[in-house]
Amino acid sequence: MKRSWYASPYALWMVLFTAVPLLFVCYYAFTDASGAFTVGNFTKIAQPMYLLVLWDSVRLAFLCTVLCLLIGYPTAYFLSGRDLNHAQSLVVLILVPMWMNFLLRTYAMMTLFEDNGVINSLLEAVGLPRLHMIGTEGAVLTGMVYNFLPFMVLPIYTVLKKMDYSIIEAAEDLGCSPLRVVTRVVLPMSVPGVVSGVTMVFMPAVTTFAISRLLSSGMIYLVGDMIEDYFISMNNRNVGSSISLVMLVLIILSIGLLRKVDPDNSGGGLW
Amino acid sequence: MNSHRTSRFLKGTWLALVLAFLYIPIIVMIALSFNASVSRAEWTGFTLGWYAKLFQSRQIMEALKVTLEVAVVATAVSVVIGTLGAIGMHAMNAGMANVLNTLSYLPMTTPDIVTGVSLMLMFVFTRVPLGKWTMIMAHVTFDTPYVLFSVMPKLRQMNPNLYEAALDLGCHPAKALTKVILPEINPGIVSGALLAFTMSLDDFVISYFTSNTDQNLAMIVYSAARRGVEPTMYALSTLMFIVIMVLLLAVNRRSGLENMG
Amino acid sequence: MIQDTRLIEIKNVCKRFGETEVLHDVNLYIRKCEFVTLLGPSGCGKTTLLRILGGFEMPTSGEVLFEGKDVTAIPPYKRRINTVFQKYALFNHLNVYDNIAFGLKLKTPEQMGCKSKKEQKEEIHRRVMRMLKLVKMEGYEKRSTNALSGGQQQRIAIARALVNEPEVLLLDEPLGALDLKLRKEMQLELKTMQQQLGITFIYVTHDQEEALTMSDTIAVMNGGRIQQIGDPKGIYDEPKNAFVADFIGESNILDGVMLEDELVKFHGTEFQCVDEGFAPDEPVDVVIRPEDIMIVGADVGMLTGTVESVIFKGVHYEMMVNTGAQRWKVHSTTMQPVGSQVGMTIVPYNIHIMRKQKEA
Repeated sequence: MKRSWYASPYALWMVLFTAVPLLFVCYYAFTDASGAFTVGNFTKIAQPMYLLVLWDSVRLAFLCTVLCLLIGYPTAYFLSGRDLNHAQSLVVLILVPMWMNFLLRTYAMMTLFEDNGVINSLLEAVGLPRLHMIGTEGAVLTGMVYNFLPFMVLPIYTVLKKMDYSIIEAAEDLGCSPLRVVTRVVLPMSVPGVVSGVTMVFMPAVTTFAISRLLSSGMIYLVGDMIEDYFISMNNRNVGSSISLVMLVLIILSIGLLRKVDPDNSGGGLW
Repeated sequence: MNSHRTSRFLKGTWLALVLAFLYIPIIVMIALSFNASVSRAEWTGFTLGWYAKLFQSRQIMEALKVTLEVAVVATAVSVVIGTLGAIGMHAMNAGMANVLNTLSYLPMTTPDIVTGVSLMLMFVFTRVPLGKWTMIMAHVTFDTPYVLFSVMPKLRQMNPNLYEAALDLGCHPAKALTKVILPEINPGIVSGALLAFTMSLDDFVISYFTSNTDQNLAMIVYSAARRGVEPTMYALSTLMFIVIMVLLLAVNRRSGLENMG
Repeated sequence: MIQDTRLIEIKNVCKRFGETEVLHDVNLYIRKCEFVTLLGPSGCGKTTLLRILGGFEMPTSGEVLFEGKDVTAIPPYKRRINTVFQKYALFNHLNVYDNIAFGLKLKTPEQMGCKSKKEQKEEIHRRVMRMLKLVKMEGYEKRSTNALSGGQQQRIAIARALVNEPEVLLLDEPLGALDLKLRKEMQLELKTMQQQLGITFIYVTHDQEEALTMSDTIAVMNGGRIQQIGDPKGIYDEPKNAFVADFIGESNILDGVMLEDELVKFHGTEFQCVDEGFAPDEPVDVVIRPEDIMIVGADVGMLTGTVESVIFKGVHYEMMVNTGAQRWKVHSTTMQPVGSQVGMTIVPYNIHIMRKQKEA
């Protein structure tokens, strides 16, 4: 037996459990409850109500990605610097929450944001009025950033860390002021890391359902919530599939677009 | 030199703020799991009561059992399939290996919710009841690539003549596999297994869509959270946090956090 | 070519990294258009000294003067000095053209003597093309730097630095990664470029042969101190101490005692020499180059010994001759068979006497 045959169970499993199920999504998306072909599921979700949900999801995910980039880039840059003590432990500390279940992290956020939660107790203790936070876009956005920030830091940090320090010295040597070193050399060279980071934040952010549900008690309704409802509570798998399919296509398109920025896919991402 | 010190101070402050943002919620939650009061508003004394309540809850104990069972079985299956897959792919020509490689990235690049939904559809269509076993199959699907990608580098590092030397010395191919290749790639298998086990324990979204009758701990946390905050969940979260940390340390000792996954 | 004005002066420079002292009271001046090599084994402090000149490190004490002005605290991007880095440090997000144009694009049109942006762009193009021609890389401007060989990357790194018309070019072991043949070619090219452009080169290497071929002046460094400064011939012929003698070329180094002016005793024998000014009976290092030992008949030599080994080295034979108390390295164009008895003579001016070094 040739050794390459050892891979056949793996190949079979991956085809059967990743490629085939995706075909089922397509099948359900184009059929009605009786199994007859239809495009009705798509015309249904083309209604403004549905499109608004989609728009909200993309908008929030975009905002979340931008915030993660704004917070995460300087963080990764500082961590990769040479003048930091204990940089290695700091990196581990920042990445550890990534591995904590996102529900637990969201649960922790709820504890802070609730009407009778920790923040409001503190506000009251210092004599300030209570704030209503659960259900606001701010709470959901904070929850998302909180959950996905490490996924932005890691790939950017990896790319910056791998960068030869003499590159920066060369730029200084050729006349770059410290600010110009960042804009002319560090930023352009870290593009692959940024691309991975953006992918790794935007994708889960645009498809999330638990975070919005828990931090808005249903006030903010995103695509993920809609898919969950169609599959779990409404048991309408056909419409649910069509929404999933549209979302998947959008994500594949946007990743394809991002990859154009970094054609060699050299970012230090998780995938 | 003064500006140098200022910039270091600013960097330090920035990182401290980011760390505070990341850790304050976790620390608050851990602290509250020991708070005697149900309310988040006041600290009325230290208690282990919530932990006791946790272990008395049949629902949680049942979910713990499901979580562990699923993680153990899925890890075992994916270690076998993934290791064989890596060995096979290593021996393949570049074209075939490329196809398989792309297939391996598929579950990693598809959003969890779509993976969960698609598997659910297939199980529903083929009338497989959604429960522990469908959950295990789903977990094997997302665990196996992690095993494969942990083993693959070890195979590439291996001296290619090693296997041939074993054959040359009269080893049967199957025996050469167990006697020569497996010991060489063992570290990769172990870290792959640890990684798969961690991913399994941690999963919520895919389990949520692929199991009805059996719930794992993450699913319990979700349904409890939808009802509102409850201190037993703090205790559960704290324990889950600690377990994941310990597992991570184990993986980290083998490979280093940045290479994980 | 070399002008008498002192372009750079390094005064009492010390550098510590934590507990370790990397540079100890270094003094050196560099003239305009001079090719100066900092030569020494790894860890001798030569790269640190170069980095201080480039502005990448601050000395712990002492100062660096550029045309008489203190530039010790001036950051690299404000110095009229450019560097060719050890591993080239090319920007791989830019192509060859943009790498070379990098420094020029940072300048304003006025700084380049241009009236408009457009004029500056043309000027940049002209200068980049001239540089590509100088480093023999015409036609490569659109290439990605990743697609270049080591030697080509090196040329681009040199062009990228030279295009800014620096007063001084610093080169940190720039040829270290190249193979021997390419290294020899580049040595000649660099020397030619330096003479054509009339720029001061400060060159760091651990390769004594490289230093001897290219430099106007060599500063031999060891243990954070400059051991000797001089032109290649002076350093080779008149090494100041046993370290320099040993590091530059090959040497036999023996302990000796200076009996009086022009008379030294080593190997149990008294020898005529040309050195004077030592204290009576002062212990000294005696250095004799292998090629300065003449093989003569066993009965007429100042010393006699047995040939232990012979290796053919291309133009000469290298022999180890054992005289009982000492094993001598001897270079000769005639071969003596192993085991044969030979005599050796040394003429007085080939016996180099050096004061014993105080332990650094």
